[in-house]
Amino acid sequence: MENNAKTFLIPNDLCRRAGMGASWRPMNEIVVFPYEKRSVKQKDQPTSFASNAPVSIFHIRRSVILFHPILRKLVNESNGVFLTLQASFKTKPSDLKMEILSISRQYRSIIRACLENLQDEVGKPNITVAERSEMHNYITIFYSVECVWHLCEILFIDVIPGNIVLPHLLDWVRFHFPKHERNAAILLASNSEGLELEEEFWPTVFGNLLQGRIKVVRALLKQHSAANSPIFQLVQHLLKSMPTYNVMNNVSVSEFNLQWRHWVMDIQQQIDSKQFINNHNLNLLMRLLTGEEEAWAEIQSQCEAWYEFLAGWLCYSETTVKTFELGQYAKQSIKKMRMQNHLRHLDRVLLAAMEFDMLLVIKEVQEMTENGWFVSHFTDLLHHSGRLSSLEKEVEGFSADKLRESFILDYGTTLVGHKSLWQVGLSYLDHCPKDGLPTIQLLLPRISFDSEAKVHKLIREAISRGLKNVAQSICKVQGMRSLSRGRLGNALTWALKSQDGPFTSYLADKYLKQYISSGELNNTDLLDNLGSSMLASDRLIFLGKYNEFHKLYQEGEYKECGHLLIALMVSKIVPKFFWPVLLSEAIPLLESEEIVFSANDTFTVLHCLEEKEEIPELSDKISILRLAAARNLSRALMYEAQCENLV
Amino acid sequence: MFECQEISAEHKDLIHDVSYDYYGDRIATCSSDQYVKVWDRNEEGKWILSSCWKGHSASVWKVTWAHPEFGQVLATCSFDRTATVWEEIVGDTPGPGKSGQRHWMRRTNLVDSRTSVTDVKFGPKAQGLQLATCSAEGIIRIYEAPDVMNLSQWTLQHEVQCKLSLSCLTWNCSLSRAHPPMIAVGSDEPGSGGKVFIYEYSENSRKWIKLDTVSCITEPVHDIAFAPNLGRTFHILGVATNNVRIINLTPTDDEQSQQSGITKLDIQTVAQFDEHGSTVWRVCWNVNGSVLCSSGDDGCVRMFRIHSKTLWKQEGVLKGDGNQVPTAMEAAQSGPQHIPQGSPVGSIASQTARYIKLGSISQPSREPWY
Repeated sequence: MENNAKTFLIPNDLCRRAGMGASWRPMNEIVVFPYEKRSVKQKDQPTSFASNAPVSIFHIRRSVILFHPILRKLVNESNGVFLTLQASFKTKPSDLKMEILSISRQYRSIIRACLENLQDEVGKPNITVAERSEMHNYITIFYSVECVWHLCEILFIDVIPGNIVLPHLLDWVRFHFPKHERNAAILLASNSEGLELEEEFWPTVFGNLLQGRIKVVRALLKQHSAANSPIFQLVQHLLKSMPTYNVMNNVSVSEFNLQWRHWVMDIQQQIDSKQFINNHNLNLLMRLLTGEEEAWAEIQSQCEAWYEFLAGWLCYSETTVKTFELGQYAKQSIKKMRMQNHLRHLDRVLLAAMEFDMLLVIKEVQEMTENGWFVSHFTDLLHHSGRLSSLEKEVEGFSADKLRESFILDYGTTLVGHKSLWQVGLSYLDHCPKDGLPTIQLLLPRISFDSEAKVHKLIREAISRGLKNVAQSICKVQGMRSLSRGRLGNALTWALKSQDGPFTSYLADKYLKQYISSGELNNTDLLDNLGSSMLASDRLIFLGKYNEFHKLYQEGEYKECGHLLIALMVSKIVPKFFWPVLLSEAIPLLESEEIVFSANDTFTVLHCLEEKEEIPELSDKISILRLAAARNLSRALMYEAQCENLV
Repeated sequence: MFECQEISAEHKDLIHDVSYDYYGDRIATCSSDQYVKVWDRNEEGKWILSSCWKGHSASVWKVTWAHPEFGQVLATCSFDRTATVWEEIVGDTPGPGKSGQRHWMRRTNLVDSRTSVTDVKFGPKAQGLQLATCSAEGIIRIYEAPDVMNLSQWTLQHEVQCKLSLSCLTWNCSLSRAHPPMIAVGSDEPGSGGKVFIYEYSENSRKWIKLDTVSCITEPVHDIAFAPNLGRTFHILGVATNNVRIINLTPTDDEQSQQSGITKLDIQTVAQFDEHGSTVWRVCWNVNGSVLCSSGDDGCVRMFRIHSKTLWKQEGVLKGDGNQVPTAMEAAQSGPQHIPQGSPVGSIASQTARYIKLGSISQPSREPWY
């Protein structure tokens, strides 16, 4: 199995000569570069590859077509359907059958809308050749996806009464080979007689016949110039009398088969009596109706695919075919078309589906190169329909839950790596019960952000999933970034959100130091409104209180100012470098006309002064402070003595 | 399909290490030419060289980013016996809307080693800012910056003797608080005996304690990496030796380990890949630990994907191919179409943000999941 791994070539000669090293780039890129293993035992000298020729690094990523803007709608809309399904599974897991079918149809209509979009785009004149071929590539991919999904819906999801699968099969073929219907419409619209002169006439007749559109065939034949001849009349009559099977009208299968055999016998008689011998096409038509092997061998070259042939063939030889019999007929028709050895990928998937090998289908659809869109949504749907878990008993070691989760996890992870689809990606990871949350925990903090708006989004996503530590980490990073850009106020806001004590202390220190050097406190509106978030760190409390002190001082509330200053001095949260400033703030208050500090307060100031004497920045202020304190003390003592006397 | 973008790294010799910041928006490279370079991705997806400086006086072996919570911080280690911590300083902004002058400042030189420092890695951020180095003399050193806002102060917290010359080191980056800090180191010394050692920090004794030796690996080990842990109960270790090994380390809860407070590990080799021929040089993990990437003597980069706890499968191979460097015109024509098998197509050697589809050889066959 090891040999199966695909090899990709890095177009670089140095990589070939020296060898390569590899690293990962978050989220989903591999990086390779020319590398040679050196050992510490070797002499440290330039390698033999040292030169002035450039050394390159190569970023390798999976090409993700889903990131193309034209497919954005598909990604977003299918996300909506996916979430609807998950929600309804949660609320009413018992009655899901109809819901599942409708969901499946919604997915398919999204694919069809996407195909229409792509067709429109291809038709536009102003796109480059490369773009057009890319669009064509997408059309091929999603066309195949729809084709497989539709068939799987019929076989695995839809509930078909009596297991009579043919009408559905014909619907499916009609949709995927619309050419004949279109041609018929064009021919009939021309409304001219003698349509047989058109080159497309007989191929269209047979095409519609193979798709079971008897009415169209008859309409076409009516436009034949010989339509009124007895032989054409006979054909019209025979076609009109073709029995149709319908579960609803109470005809049992054996009864129908009887009718059918009579009808075929009738035609056979006409053929045997050489009624149609003069018209090869009519003859072939009649022989096809009888299910004659040689006739079908003749027509098969007109079929584009074996399943187109299969549907037509079953329509006239096994009308009441059951779903579980499809596989064997599929194989037969492949054999008839001699395609066994050149089955394309799509053919293999469809065959696997008809053989009811669900696991093989899932395995094959992984290679649809649409980056897991199909396999994850489809597996999820099958899982919810209960089809997958029924396989658990049959296949050893198989777990439906695990299989579903692995696809959704992959798909979600891919989307998270995109700069605008990351939220969609997260919504998929949310529905991976086992590894979803840890994966989000790993990926979410790595989503790169360059705007505050995105930071807020990321934080919201983290909080809503209970990942508080992730949210805090993001805040801290944003705080550090603001700091490095010199935006202190922003940094503090983010630091508070991150609830990182040391970081807020560091920032508070920055504020205080700025104040010392410039004499001004910045971002006072932020500091005014700190509120309880001030409690993040002692240093921040101090900054907040000091800011309050300033405000009071400016408002002339000297008394309260004084109280606050004293409270700060005794609080033991004053940073050492700030004492000189804090003590100098006391000078004007000590000297104010009205007595601000009581005798006790003044003692406190003096006490602090004593303690901090050795701080060098304080040396030139000590004498002034002492003087001011002494004067205030005398005033305060006298005033307090008077007050006592009065009492 | 894969597509590739080429960035000319402008080193004058082979690159020893390429490391991405947490978001993948910045690249740091180091080389035998003794230089360290930092590249930034601009809004159009182009990579611009933002800084380049001579980091050491000998080959620079490894370069690694600290978590962005600590700012823009790099560590390098070199043949010159030192490890260095660098911090990016943004100068005063010249005006609104303009970014200031950036440069990388040497914050500290860790000179305790007497031999070449072979690997350097920052610890998980839950433990603050820690840095582990290992050296050819066989010593693991754990440094710590006690004040994360001041990166010029680092204290050597622990020195762990390993006896064998060490070549590589990895921290276990488990998200779970139940797992104590863990380091694995590898030795490239020839000779018998195990070459991978597992250490764990014991809170009780405040020491790093050797938990176990991975005895099944006796060949020289060149690189080692713990997978990011998705809340698993076991740890996954990727080892580059004479082959690629993937090892599960499962802590067992027996009485003895509960009493001693020391984890006991159940060590199990779950995968071994011999495709590299002889020596494997490097191993590294993707972000969620589901794919291991390795490179080795055969000149290939190989990818291995986890399928279940004990099942790993090779998923893809990258190979250098110099004969197929296309001309600019071929590259331009090779736009979005699927490249037919066996016809490689490459890129123009220019710094554009364009990605070019890679050609491939051999049939595609992705293994199914079950």
